[in-house]
Amino acid sequence: MSEGTDNAAARAAYLAGIRETFALIPSYVPFGLVCGVAGVQAGLGEWGAVALAAFAFAGSSQAVLTQFLSSGAPLLIAVLSGLVVNLRMAVYSAAISPRIAGATRKERLLWAAFLVDQTFISNEARHQRGEHQQHALAFYLGCATMLWPWWVLMNAIGAFAGAKLPASWQLEFTIPLSFVVMVVPLLKSRGQAVAAIAGGAAGVLLYAMPLKTGLIAACVFGTCVGMLVDAIMTSRQSHNEAAK
Amino acid sequence: MNWGGFGSVDGWLAILGLSVGTFLIRYSFIGLLAGKRLPPRFERALQLAVPAIFAALVLPLILMQAGQFDLQARWPHIVAAIIAGAYAWWRRGMFVPLLVGMVALHVLLLLTGK
Repeated sequence: MSEGTDNAAARAAYLAGIRETFALIPSYVPFGLVCGVAGVQAGLGEWGAVALAAFAFAGSSQAVLTQFLSSGAPLLIAVLSGLVVNLRMAVYSAAISPRIAGATRKERLLWAAFLVDQTFISNEARHQRGEHQQHALAFYLGCATMLWPWWVLMNAIGAFAGAKLPASWQLEFTIPLSFVVMVVPLLKSRGQAVAAIAGGAAGVLLYAMPLKTGLIAACVFGTCVGMLVDAIMTSRQSHNEAAK
Repeated sequence: MNWGGFGSVDGWLAILGLSVGTFLIRYSFIGLLAGKRLPPRFERALQLAVPAIFAALVLPLILMQAGQFDLQARWPHIVAAIIAGAYAWWRRGMFVPLLVGMVALHVLLLLTGK
């Protein structure tokens, strides 16, 4: 491939990433505003709230951190609590790692910097469709270009204007809805469907566990059930073949 | 005009702590597993972990109202999520399935007067 067509392909992948995540714009609005307001209330100042959004780029942990700071919890406890909420990103990190086997160290820093629920699952969807495989990072950075500045901006509006949207718009429902829409097409095998059902059920039952640790437990449980179903299906298959 | 404040030193330590710590979590396996081949069983487990963790993330958000599981109040949300999911299965894409789900939710909320 000549350099010109390669650049064009990278640009196409980057634009595809922007397009892929464009529809997620509304889902960042209500939560971003709330996080910005909470940052100021926790005593971070307007600029602190904006910096938190820019450097942590992780809404639910921002919410937990600011909640703990507002309630007068010790600094270390507040930070550790926020980090526990982000442990799910270790799962994304592990899942994305085999997809970027040839990446350089600098590229890996970029993959890590923008790893959030939405960029991760968008990249998973792209990988499953087999698109832009040579320019996965360009696609991923396209997703980040759409989402990261928008997240920071929404937090800034929340911090400086204290703005809130009317609850009757139900805009915060676009967060779970966008996850549903992104994950459903990824359910290709029976094992994955079972893992989703088991994980979802466990997620509800374990919801009361502190700091969303139930999320990790539910993930482990769903994965194990999925692997069990996989193993049963493979053994039944080989059993049937032996019977023929 | 509100030029904004900078809060306390403690606040900035908290920002630094959460930001650096979160980056390390994100970089963990991306950095550690660089160039290593994973056993096939572990790769399969990761393929299953993705739907499991997203389902665990999503279901409480759909079923909860004001911090409580409330199937009576949330059934329009449940139906809207099923409609959006079914549409996404049929047609893929992001924008239209999301729109379909939100329109369905508002129609259901209007019809039931909630």
